[in-house]
Amino acid sequence: MNHCVPDFETDDDYFFSASANSKRHKKSAMGDEDIMELLWQNGQVVVQSQNQRSAGNKKSETMPSTAGREIRSGVIDEETTPSNLFMQEDEMVSWLHYPSDDNSLDLYLHNNDIPYPVLPSSSSAPATTLPSSLPPPPPPLVTVPPTRPPIPPLNRVDEEPSQPKFANFLHFSRSNKRGLAGSGPSSSKQMSQAITQSTVVESNIGCRGSMSSFGGAGTSSAGTGREPETCDVSASSSPGTGGSGASASVEPSSHKPPPATDDRKRKGRDTDDTECYSEDLEFEYHDPKKKSRGSASSTKRSRAAEVHNLSERRRRDRINEKMKALQELIPRCNKSDKASMLDEAIEYLKSLQMQVQMMSMGYNMVPMMFPGVQRYMPTMPAMGMGMGMGMGMGMDHIGMNRGMVPYPSVLPGPQMPNSAAAHMGQRFPVPRFQMAQVPIMGPGTGEAANPSDPMMNSFPTQNANQPRVPFLDPYQQCLGLPQTQLAQQQQQQQNQTGMAAVTSKPSSSKDVRYPQRHPTG
Amino acid sequence: MSSRRSREAPRITDDQIIQLLSKLQQLLPEIRNRRSNKASASKVLQETCNYVRSLHQEVDDLSDRLSQLLSTVDANSPEASIIQSLIM
Repeated sequence: MNHCVPDFETDDDYFFSASANSKRHKKSAMGDEDIMELLWQNGQVVVQSQNQRSAGNKKSETMPSTAGREIRSGVIDEETTPSNLFMQEDEMVSWLHYPSDDNSLDLYLHNNDIPYPVLPSSSSAPATTLPSSLPPPPPPLVTVPPTRPPIPPLNRVDEEPSQPKFANFLHFSRSNKRGLAGSGPSSSKQMSQAITQSTVVESNIGCRGSMSSFGGAGTSSAGTGREPETCDVSASSSPGTGGSGASASVEPSSHKPPPATDDRKRKGRDTDDTECYSEDLEFEYHDPKKKSRGSASSTKRSRAAEVHNLSERRRRDRINEKMKALQELIPRCNKSDKASMLDEAIEYLKSLQMQVQMMSMGYNMVPMMFPGVQRYMPTMPAMGMGMGMGMGMGMDHIGMNRGMVPYPSVLPGPQMPNSAAAHMGQRFPVPRFQMAQVPIMGPGTGEAANPSDPMMNSFPTQNANQPRVPFLDPYQQCLGLPQTQLAQQQQQQQNQTGMAAVTSKPSSSKDVRYPQRHPTG
Repeated sequence: MSSRRSREAPRITDDQIIQLLSKLQQLLPEIRNRRSNKASASKVLQETCNYVRSLHQEVDDLSDRLSQLLSTVDANSPEASIIQSLIM
């Protein structure tokens, strides 16, 4: 690109003078491509077909930027749209006039390490050439902090470094609307870039103009490094970024409070931690404390200890953070010490797993339940086994929740008598907790958790007391699921009536109860 | 570790915590499948949080599906009661 610049510069005058002539030729041109060729080869070859394109390609690339300015015709650069150019020019004009300080450009350019030495001259050219059609718009873009070195060299056009930075920003936001409306499709890219830029820059308003945003935007669209084009691009992008900058300005402010609150919260938590936890617990499962770093010399040891302490503290903080996060996830967890909180976490996790399992089973089984029930009935004992198996398996392979549900064995779940559940439980002592013994389906299964009838009778009362059963209670009572209580309330009567008949034979209970269910349903 | 004299609560031993964490670890589907003594406390806690969140998500998802199922079923049928019982 740099090498193009000199060409551009030298050709500039040539072009300007030639453009007038080329115009005539241009009118006779076939299309845009032809136009470009004509313009360029004005001095050389006037009318050419597309064969010349290859030769003049390079020039044609640079040409449109200047051509657009001069001609404002349909000269289309392959890479930019004419509307873009025009709009950019307008925009540029507007803020070019605003500062009318070319010296700033030099400063800006140098600060941004813009490789184009010609910029000042080239930038001034457009300023003079462009008509001030637009009313002096607010300063183009605010934020161009010198901290934006990475921004491509297109940054130039720092129109108003001298202008008050805040004013720039305000104007920027105001001018946004106009810019947004006018900006072409390519400028949207610039805007998006500029938005990110402006957000950053916003905090550094004490900078020269919004050129950095321009530059960044310019590169996105132009990517060619042509100065005028860059200017144009930046000009168009500036209004766009202005608007986005305004909105962006809100973001940083919004960002600040959350981190602040987080910090405050964190600090609060830390203090709570220090107060609540009886000791600093270092859960190191596998790693022994790394205190072996201390060497013989005291200084080394102290340093090592310091480092160790720091890392320890960081680790502890991490763990405490996670504990807090876990605590927040657990409903109604008011425990302050780690051990009880972990206890609750464990129980909650188990109950959640059970719940998910039940629900997924129910979801899969209900559609199968009624029409095809008869088929499954005779296999009750097997199904009982399957269910117990499923429960045990579920605990071990939670991931398989869905997969293992569609047992026909689940079918008897809702109708499972108390004894059946107990029967099942006896067969498959599910390892960890008694919840596994609970029949799967909610309705009618809850009370089956305990083989005792009194348990069932007492259950409804408990249900009433705890509509949303805390997982702890049902867990302890081998029920496990809050929703089972609702079902139990519904099914309570049916089950109770069926219980007596059922207790004797699990296999027959199903037959007995199944007809009972329908009337009640 | 600065000594904390703010409370007289029984000291919770590290072993206790470690035990609880290992229990928790057993419940986690991912960590459990690997060698169980490999996870650090922070990892276990992190995994637990993620797992709980995913379970919540699953519960919500299932609830939605059950609700949809409920809508397809006659309101007075036993299926409806079952489904309703499953939905929290």
